Parts: sequence; C-alpha cells; structure tokens
Amino acid sequence: MNEAAPHFTPPAGTPPIVQLKGIAKYFPGVIANQDVDLEVYPGEIHALLGENGAGKSTLMNILTGIYQADAGEIIIDGYKREFASPQQAIAAGIGMVHQHFKLVQAFTVAENIHLGWDETPRRASAAKLERRTADLAKRFNLQVRPGARISDLSTGEQQRVEILRVLARQARVLILDEPTAVLTPAEARELFSALRNFVAEGNAVFFISHKLDEVLEISDRITILRGGRKIATEKASDCDPRMLAKLMVGRDIVLDDMRARPQGAAPVSKEPVLSLKNVTARGDDGSPALHDINLAVHAGEIVGVAGVAGNGQRELSQVLTGVRPAASGQIVVDGKPMSGRNAAAYAAGGIGHIPEDRLHSGLAPALSITINAVMREYMKPPITNAGVYNPGAATALSKEIAEAADVMIPDYGMPIRNLSGGNQQRLVARREMRIANKVLVAAYPSRGLDVGAINTMLRYIVELRDAGAGIVLISEELEELLNLSDRIAVLYEGRIMGELENQNIDIDEIGLLMGGRTQSEKTREVA
Amino acid sequence: MFGNWRFQRLPSAHPGVAFGARAAAVIAALVFTGIILAIAGANPIELAGEVIDSSFGSSFGLEDLALLFIPLILTGLAVTVAQQIGTWNIGAEGQFYLGAFSATAVGLFVPGPPALILVLMFVAGVVGGMLWILVPTLARAYANVNELITTLLLNFVAALLVYYVSTGPWRDRVGLANSATPRLSAEVPEFWGIVHWGLPVAVLVVIATAAVFTFSRWGYEVRLSGSNPSAAKYAGIPVRRHLITVMLLSGGIAGLAGMLEIAGTVHRLQGGISNNFGYLGIMVAVLARGSSIGVIFSAALMAFILNSGIILQTQGLTTSAVLAMTGLILFLTAIGDELSHYRITREKT
Amino acid sequence: MVNLRNLSRRGFLNMSAAGAASTFLPSGLMRQAAAAEPLPAIKEEDAVLGFGHVGPITDEGWTWSHHQGLLACKEAYPNLKNILEVENVPYSSDATRTYRQFVKEGANMIFDTSSTGDFLHEVVKRAPEVAFMECNGHVLMDNLGWYYLAHWYPTYVIGVAAGHLSKTGKLGYVASFPVASVYCSTNAFIMGARTVNPDATLQTIVINSWFDPQAATQAGTALVDNGCDFLFGIMDEAGYLQVAEKRNVWAAMWNTDIRRYGPNAYVSSVIIDFKDFYVDQVGKRLAGEWTPGEHLLPLGGGVDRDAWGQNVPQEVGDAADAVRQKMLDGWSPFVGELKDVNGEVRVPEGQRMTEMELYNWDWSVEGVTGLSS
Repeated sequence: MNEAAPHFTPPAGTPPIVQLKGIAKYFPGVIANQDVDLEVYPGEIHALLGENGAGKSTLMNILTGIYQADAGEIIIDGYKREFASPQQAIAAGIGMVHQHFKLVQAFTVAENIHLGWDETPRRASAAKLERRTADLAKRFNLQVRPGARISDLSTGEQQRVEILRVLARQARVLILDEPTAVLTPAEARELFSALRNFVAEGNAVFFISHKLDEVLEISDRITILRGGRKIATEKASDCDPRMLAKLMVGRDIVLDDMRARPQGAAPVSKEPVLSLKNVTARGDDGSPALHDINLAVHAGEIVGVAGVAGNGQRELSQVLTGVRPAASGQIVVDGKPMSGRNAAAYAAGGIGHIPEDRLHSGLAPALSITINAVMREYMKPPITNAGVYNPGAATALSKEIAEAADVMIPDYGMPIRNLSGGNQQRLVARREMRIANKVLVAAYPSRGLDVGAINTMLRYIVELRDAGAGIVLISEELEELLNLSDRIAVLYEGRIMGELENQNIDIDEIGLLMGGRTQSEKTREVA
Repeated sequence: MFGNWRFQRLPSAHPGVAFGARAAAVIAALVFTGIILAIAGANPIELAGEVIDSSFGSSFGLEDLALLFIPLILTGLAVTVAQQIGTWNIGAEGQFYLGAFSATAVGLFVPGPPALILVLMFVAGVVGGMLWILVPTLARAYANVNELITTLLLNFVAALLVYYVSTGPWRDRVGLANSATPRLSAEVPEFWGIVHWGLPVAVLVVIATAAVFTFSRWGYEVRLSGSNPSAAKYAGIPVRRHLITVMLLSGGIAGLAGMLEIAGTVHRLQGGISNNFGYLGIMVAVLARGSSIGVIFSAALMAFILNSGIILQTQGLTTSAVLAMTGLILFLTAIGDELSHYRITREKT
Repeated sequence: MVNLRNLSRRGFLNMSAAGAASTFLPSGLMRQAAAAEPLPAIKEEDAVLGFGHVGPITDEGWTWSHHQGLLACKEAYPNLKNILEVENVPYSSDATRTYRQFVKEGANMIFDTSSTGDFLHEVVKRAPEVAFMECNGHVLMDNLGWYYLAHWYPTYVIGVAAGHLSKTGKLGYVASFPVASVYCSTNAFIMGARTVNPDATLQTIVINSWFDPQAATQAGTALVDNGCDFLFGIMDEAGYLQVAEKRNVWAAMWNTDIRRYGPNAYVSSVIIDFKDFYVDQVGKRLAGEWTPGEHLLPLGGGVDRDAWGQNVPQEVGDAADAVRQKMLDGWSPFVGELKDVNGEVRVPEGQRMTEMELYNWDWSVEGVTGLSS
C-alpha cells in the first residue's frame, strides 16, 4: 500500500503559492492555533497531520476565510492577503472540500456546480448547465453525471462533485478535509490519481488527515500539528508511521497486534454466546438492509466486521443489540432465543453496545452527564427502587463510570455535549462494559478519535475480551480489525461476503470482498 | 487596546449568571417600555407606581394576579410537559376549549349534588383535553406527522365548536348582550376574594408533575426519549408509548385549565373563553425553559404582565403597548440567556 | 317630551329632582330597586367615573355615542376631572379585571356600556360602595342598575319604509348574536315591513360580533347575492352600508348618522343619544340621590329614526313618519295576535306586549329566518 511517494523538493527560486506566517487563532479557553508557519509550493501535495483538536481544520478555515486569524499573515503568490469571507479566498484561488459535503441534495450535479457562482449565466436552461458541467468535468478529468440528483449519488461521486465545484472556480490550491473517510479503497485510489494530475499543472493540495498510511502514500511533505502549534514539516520520504504517530501525540504509541492473550485471560468458549441464523432485517425506509446473515460470536473472541460504511453495518449492530427487530431468522443469546425482545432485554441479557454514532444514538447530548452515564442501569437499585428514581444514586454511579473511564468531570449536571468526543466515547465504552458480560457490539469505536484515544478504546475492548465477553468489532479501519480480530467477516450490501480467519490475511482479498466480489469470484479471477 | 478584550463563549452558563441575565433582561424591558411611554407623553414613574400599587398594594390586586395565574400555570405546564418528550403542544388553546366544553356539558346536563358534579366536571375537563390531543398524538406516534401543525389547526376547530354551542344549542335564552350558555350551578368554591380552590390545585399539579419527572423511573425514560429518541430506543425504552402518555397528559392538563376557568372563574361557556391562555402558555413554557417548577415563576411573571396591561389601559394606554412589553421581555430574555454563556476576558500579549 | 338639552345644568338638576315625584321620567325609568339606600354624595372634584366600552370610541357608532355621553358629563360638571375610560373591553374575564381595576382606582360610578353580564356582576357584588350601570343589562342589585333603548319603535318605523322600498320583498339582516335585542330588532323590522308588503321575509346572518367590518361586509354581500334588496342589522360600523351602496340596494343602520359611507343606499338609522341620560345619572350620583333603576330610553328621548336618506321618496318617509307619530301618541304595533316561525300563537289576540316583554323577546315572529330558536 505504501508505495514510495515521488520525491519532492521545492524547486529553487519558485515562490511558495501559499505562505502562512505566525498564524494564531484563539477560542474561549482554547488556543486553536499559535505561531504556525507553513509554505506550499506549486506541484506539491502537502499533508496536515494531527490528532483531533490539533488545529488542522481551524488553520485551513483561516486560509479559506471562514475564520480570521488573530495574528499572523497569509501570503499568496508573494502578496499579503486578508480574507474576510470564503468568497474572497475562492477569488484568490483557494478552495476547500469539507468533510461534510455542502451540496444541495435535491439539486442536480449541474445545479450544484453552478450554485452561487458568478460565472453562472443569468438565464440558462437545465440542458445548458449540464453541458457546461460536462465540459468542466472533461477539463478536470473528473467523472460526474451532470443530470443526476445529488441524493442519488454515492459518497465518492458526491466528493467528486464537491471537488469539481471548487476547481471550476479556478482554484489553484485545493484543501481536502479527511477526504478518504467516506471512500472505498478503490475510490480513494481514483481520488489520489486525480490529485496527482491536478498538482502536475502547477497547483497545490492541502490534505488533512489523521490516517498515517494514506498520508505517507499521497503527500510530498507532511506538516504535523499538535495543540495548535506546528511540530514539524518533513518530507514524506523521510517518514515512517511510528515516527509520525509519535510526533502527533508526543509520545510512543503502540498500534500493535493485540490478538495475543495475556496469562489468565478467559478462553474462547466452545458454544457461541451470540448467534444469528439466517437473519434478515429492513432499513429505516422499509427496504431490505440485511440478507440472510449467519454469524456466531464466542465468549473471549473478537469478531471483526469489515466493509465500506453504509453496507448494512448500522442495521447489523442494531439487530445484534435488539434496537432493530429482525424481519426473519433467529437470534440466540447464551442459548436463549431473543425474537420479539427489545433493546432493554438484550441489555439485561448482558449485551453492551457502542453505537456507531454516539451523539445520535448512544447519548442524549443535551442532557446531563449523569443521565447519560446511568442509561443502562437506571432501572435497577440503587438508582430506582419501586419506580422511584434517586438522582443522588445516579450521580454516584456516573462518578464511578467517569473514574473508570479516567475522565475528569467538573460538573455532572452539565450537558454531555460539552465533553470532547474522546471523553464521550470513553464514558459510553465504560458504561457499556459494565453490562457487557456476554457480548459487546462496538461499531466504529475509534471513529473521529485521535491516535491516543483510539489506543485507549482498543485497550478497553481487549480488556473485555480477556474478561470473557464476546466482541463484535465493526470498523472501516482495516488495520484496527487486523490488529484485534480473531476472525473478520466482510459486509457488502447487507450480505456477509465471506468470513476469514485472521491468519496471514491477504488485504487485497478483503478489499475485493468489500467491493462486492465473493471469494469464489476472486479465486476465479486469480485462476 | 480593544483588540485585547475578547468574548469567550462558555459551554454552559453559570446558574447565578443565567438568573442575573434574566433579571437584567426583564428590567431592561421595563426600562425600554418606560422610555417609550415617556416619549408617548406618559409619566412612566407614575404609571409604574400605579401598576405596583394596583398589583401588590391591595388584596384586590393580588386576587386578580392569582386568578390570571391559575390558567397560565396549567397551560404553561401543558406545553412544558409536552416538551419533556420533545414535542411542541401548540394546541393547549384548543384543549383548553375542549376542557371547558366537556366540563360545561357535564355541568349543564348531568343532574346531581354539586360536589359530585364538580368531580365529574374535573374528570370531563381532563378527558376532553386528552381527546382533543389524541389525534395529533396518534398521528405523531404512528405516522410521524408533525404535531406542531396538527395541534395548532385543531385550535381553530375547538374555538368554532365552542362558538357554535354557546351561540346555538346551549345558548342561554335570557338576558345577555352576548351569547353564552346558562350559568353553571356547580362552582369551584372561592377561598380568598374571587380566588377559587383551582389555585392550590394548579400549584399541586405542577409540583406533582415536577416530582414525577425528576424522581421516577418513568420521568427519566421520558426525559431521555424527549431529548434523543434514538438514544432512548437504543436503551430499550418504549418511546412511542411514552410519547402517547405524555402528550395525553399535556392535553389533559390544558383541559383542566379550561375546566377550572369554567367552573371557577367564568361559570358560563362562551366564545373566547380561552382568553388566549393556551397561546400564552407557550410563552410561559419558553420562559420556564423546560422546567416544570420554573413554570410557577414564569406564569407569575406573565400574570403580572397581563394584569399590568389591564391597569395601563385604565390609564389610557392601548393593549398594543402591553403586547410590545411582553414581546420585549421575551426578546431580551432570549438575548440574556445567550449572553450568560459569554464572559469577557483580556488576553495577555 | 321636553328637550333636556336646552336646559341649563342647574335647571336640569331642579327638573330631575322634581321629576322623581311626578310621572315624568326623563330616562324612561321602568322600575327602581326597592330597598336600596342612595349612596352618599361626593364632591365633583373628588369623584371618579369609569366607562368600559365594547369597541373603540372612534367607531362612529355605539361606543362613539357613549363617549359623547362622557363628554357631555365633562361639560355639565366641569370640576369632574377624573374619568377613567377603557375601550375594547372583551366579553371575558378581562372585563371583570377592567372593572375591578376601576374600583381599585377609586371609581364612584361605573358604566358598562355593553353588558358584560356576570363579568360585571362579579365586581358589583364586591364593591357595594360603587354605583354600577349596565347598558342592556338585566339584573337589578343594590348598587347596579341598567339602561337601554326602546329601539323597537324606530325599528318598526324603518320597517314600514323598507316595506315600501323593497321590490323583491326580501329583506336582509346582519346580526351580532342571537340575543334578545336582535330578536326584538328583527321582529319589529319585519312587522313594520309586512304592514306594507304582507309577503316580505327577513333573512338573518349571525356573525358573532358587534364590531367586525369584514364579517359584516361578507354577510351583507351574501344577503344581496340571495336577492335581498334592503339590508338592516345591528352593527357598530358601516360595513354592509358600503356593500349596499356598491350593489345598488337599500340599507338602514344603527347608532349614528353615517350616510356619507353610502349616500345613495342610506335609508335611515336607529339613532341613539345617551348624553342626557348620563348627565342625569352622574348628577344624581354626585348629589347623593342615585339609586339603581331600570331605564328604557323612549322613542324621541334617546332613540329615534334618523332623517330619511336622499333617495327615499317623500311619500315613503311621510308614510313611515305617520306611524312614528302614532307611537309618540301612545300607540303600539306590538299587539297580538303574534305567531312564531312555527306558526304557534305566542301573543294572543288583542294582548299588548309590555316594554319588558319586548326587551326580553327571545323568539322570532313569522317571516324571520336564520336565528336559531
């Protein structure tokens, strides 16, 4: 995967296309950026690497005029510039593709491209706009369908529309915020080649990421931010993942194989604690989302579920935890059939659940930390006795959970949304671990977390496995799955395409399964 | 230099600061109103004196406040209760009408000793309010139809229904310049001037509701369901069942307000019986910010504002001045709430 | 009838003091509260009066007329400085609050110019030291009297004119509420018209308001659409007169002379004047002579028809005025046999309805449709 990046040296005598000098930005109680110096040269892909909250997005928001710097200078092509708005930055040739696309879902690709653009003809038919869009797509070598509605496009296509939108406005510096988070490996490769073409014409790219491998793969130079300050700028060819991780978090991080059991760890059980037999389920819109799923999880093992997000992971984790009823098939927990039982019964039966989107489904962001922390145990003594809820006992329990999660909490009555994402996730994980004496279903437990927090989260999961619980780990980070899982099942369009024992797994094989090819097809291809 | 001063937004407001900001907002609104009145040629100090004297200077004034307080506290509570499950009951007005309507039906047509009739009217009022919110509740629970629209639209139906019966089939045939039903013989007894026992009943309902929400497992589940239904589903809480129960409770409380207004204050059903108390309840709930106990204070403030309106009218001011004052208080309170999240600091360079 | 307006204030007071003993009742007194002791006299400069109105004093109609009464009191008692006046008092518990506020502010005498019924009586019971007068009231208490107008006489006169003027014989009526004054008004109107055209009918639309120009306009339009060529009603504004003007039909109004809103359509008005009555009542209260009574201001003494409209033929006006003169001489048209809309005899042959029966009329005579009964 990590092919050698083209060797890049800033050409002598060429001025940087963008130069940032001494940039600082303060938010209440937080230094978002301070003393950041940075240059990007024509023809360069420059990665910005850092943990969550390291100041990457703030810095790029300053460059694109969304924020104004409290100190420092922006120099474009040798001239000092100040951007009061994104429009001014775009006029200066700087465009950004955000992590969350800013497209109008109900509009066509062509309409989105032409929205809020001063070169859009005053009167133009849909056909004319589509023709213009097709021309643009050809010029920038980006495949889009001008007449299609955004809501009908895959995320990869949507991203191309976003990029085209920026490029059409004559951007010479393209900023991409975590662009691969939503892409399949194949789509990511397509993106990378498009970026290479773009910089080859004397343009530049800022590439924000916290994925070490892809940063090493795509970028020419890498700038590492930590705590709002620049730590280093290095040529990619001089870097390796371990060194980058250390620079990012400021200490050595072990992203290691965690499959080995320590002494005294619970053994893998003979009988599964949780099994799905021929389970199907419907999505929110009533259409089939899971087809004929068979999966068995034993105590003391970790079963990984790989796949591109949106292929049934959400429904699978919900079916596994009783949040979503199965349309047919059988779910057995510890020998007991669970059909017709709700999520509370699953939780009472010892199934914990770290949901994929903790803010949307695992927490009530506006409610207090205490209310959120006791979500799994509020119905039992000491919190509830004979229907009477005891707020004091609830706070006591939430203190216990916060201590186990090693989260400092000034006020248990404050809304949990005031905590950082990492701390929220730790609380959720600790809350679920308390009840998960049979199974823990962890969906994307490391999503949106930085390297340090990911490490904590994975340690929690291993700890629980060693204590004798079965784990279902749903993730899009292959490395994470490979490091933790005993087996990996690959999900594609609601089907399990294959289940692989985690011994000398061929990554390409997983990639093909993720893309919808079955194991037999793969074999045929090889043959 | 100014550049060194910064506004800092804090994640949550300190309760003391929040309270201070609200007090400041109310005072600022009063000062603004005073300035406007002065520009209009009135003497604001004198008017303020008159308002305070008339409101608090005599038991007559306090009775008036109390009588306004009863329906406001209940409609405010109705809206607040619905908020706990994450819904907006804009239909407290209609449920108030139906509570009044149902209580009147019992009062007019069911024979029996007054004490028994009163109990039946109480039940009828609550059930009437519940029935009026039933369809929006089921539509929301089973078809996810926005209750904002459905409850609002039913207000007009309820108002017209009450107009119809009070000017038509149930009309009193003698001695009125406007149409209303005959006077109901069962009355909530008065215990202090014109103030009837509805006052302690209403306050008790608020306290009981607040206690249930804070100190019961059910209350916990409702709060969680209201704040984030997906999280509640995730926790295995029967969100739909709670939604239905809470919305019916909300409608029942608004219906009780209508019943008490009929049986305690007005004694006849007529068009306009609601006096906008249902809509004012929305304002009360907004000011109470989701706190059932807070409803007591915001209803008291609203009662004072409404009563001040009457006083100011006898001083030659129009109702619009009073409406403007109400709006100003709400507006400035919103600003105050937001500002209480900020503090000003000085950066060291 | 003596025209009180021409008397000096002193002379007026002498008159009314004397009048109490004679049969001359300037205010159409029906009955006096039996055992009530007069409230003590107050100095003019210390006195506080309160007026609560249903509409705005700028309505050019009902409320405007009462406001003229207030102004007349100011003129008659120049030291009377403290008069509280609230417009747009709703028919709701807010009315109670308004009148309680008057009491709080020390009012000695309060006029409710559009009966708020129980809402007022709540206050009356709790303020025995204050004199209350309720226009269109029905209840007499120790400190509450009521007053109204014998409007059925001028209405009958206008009905006679309508009988002459209407070609289709279909008359229309814009009503506020199905209450006694509306029953009486519609009945008097159709009875007057039927003396000329026995087949005349009266269609009524109830709009549930005393002041709602938009609803009145809609109701007027609907009536004309249904073939009515003469509109009448009890409204405090000119909405349906403008409809009549536009649609080229006749209209008669209430309260005041508002012919300028429809000079071609205008026939007449039930015109009202409370000035003398208010001056009289306030004078008695100041003098310590006021006791609550029931007053129906008679034809020519507070209520009358307005001067005929410019397009009303002389002979129609004359014919109607002849009826008016008979009434002034003591004749009443409200004599049995009278049948209700179901054909049932409600007033037997030869029986003359009393003023109080007319005032409390709660059924429709034959020929009236649209009032539920």
